[in-house]
Amino acid sequence: MLIKIFAAFVATLAFAVLFNSPRKIIFQAGIVGAVGFAIYIYLMETLELSSMTSNFAGTVGLSVCSEIFARRYKEPVTVFSVPGFLPLVPGLPLYRAMNYFILNDFVMGMQTFLETCIDAAAIAMGILCVSGLAKVYKTSKYMVEEHKNEGERK
Amino acid sequence: MVEGMIKSMTKNEVMEIAITSGKILLCNGAETYRVEDTMLRICAMRGMRDVSAFCTPSAIIISDESLKGNCYMARVTDRGVNLSLVSEINDISFGLKTWPYNFTETMAILQEKLTRRARPIYIDIISAGFGGGGFAVMLGGGVKEFIAAFAGSAISMWIIKLLSPFKPSSFWSTTLAGAFISVVTILARKLFPNVNMELTIAGAIMPYLPGMAFTNGLRDYIAGDLISGNSRAGEAVFLVSGIVIGIAAVLGTIYK
Repeated sequence: MLIKIFAAFVATLAFAVLFNSPRKIIFQAGIVGAVGFAIYIYLMETLELSSMTSNFAGTVGLSVCSEIFARRYKEPVTVFSVPGFLPLVPGLPLYRAMNYFILNDFVMGMQTFLETCIDAAAIAMGILCVSGLAKVYKTSKYMVEEHKNEGERK
Repeated sequence: MVEGMIKSMTKNEVMEIAITSGKILLCNGAETYRVEDTMLRICAMRGMRDVSAFCTPSAIIISDESLKGNCYMARVTDRGVNLSLVSEINDISFGLKTWPYNFTETMAILQEKLTRRARPIYIDIISAGFGGGGFAVMLGGGVKEFIAAFAGSAISMWIIKLLSPFKPSSFWSTTLAGAFISVVTILARKLFPNVNMELTIAGAIMPYLPGMAFTNGLRDYIAGDLISGNSRAGEAVFLVSGIVIGIAAVLGTIYK
């Protein structure tokens, strides 16, 4: 498991380089990817939860992590979240589904394909939840500041 | 200089700066919300508050809302990913309050970013290789799978980069990448008979899956930009089917 998490770290690092990220945050992007994958694999293999739940939890974890890093290092959130969530993308089930279709096994193919879609939907829900909440947080902070300024003016 | 130079520019010049920065952002993989927000922020620094901006994945429009106002439009055809440019423009737009350059110098800086030459392709090839190999290990592979996936990703990235002067459509190049990955994997299996093909291919296709389109599309939905959200989600589906068709074409012909 540790080897896998380390591999996720290296792979995310490589993707950050591939996407031409700013040099000073490549390492942090790798950490974001490793955090997401560590949560996913812990829930999936140790606690034996369903793939959908673990994908969701992993995405939530990495999105929170990237929002925190984005505020800390004053960079856009995309810089962290785009390379970071790639380890969770269901590439293997997608390949399996395609393989079943080639072998004319449409029942298994459709089943695997639907599982892949559900995983992708879980990741999407994770991203939507966190970035929606982050937006609410940002607006509320802004509103509090406005309120303070108005008070001072009065 | 405490006061920024932006106050002394004319409205048209500020809008030109805004649309050029928006174009750089959109060309390099920023989400719609960020493009619109950056352009409006640049205009607001000059005191222009009644400006509206509209951005889809292929066009940007910015216009002064009064009847006599100007309207600029930029068309974006080829979109790549370069997150460091996104971050640089982000820094510029937040630092405009104390911006020490005048209009010509600012445009020169933006032009340099717009026409910046791509870095040497070996960086792309090696990082794609490490990405693919890393994913093969992450999915449970060993050293052999790492090497095979590294070769698959790196070779297909090399071929895509070689073909990129011809400006192929993105569907075509991902399909080709999928085809080359499966060719390399089959060759690797001929060399070492116990390579796990499933893990190798699944790892090697990772650099070509449209993660960027997927995340940005979702973030667009959250920000309320439904048109961009729809089209980016469509792009993601399109690219995934491209890569699947590429792999299926090669594997299907060889194993039948």
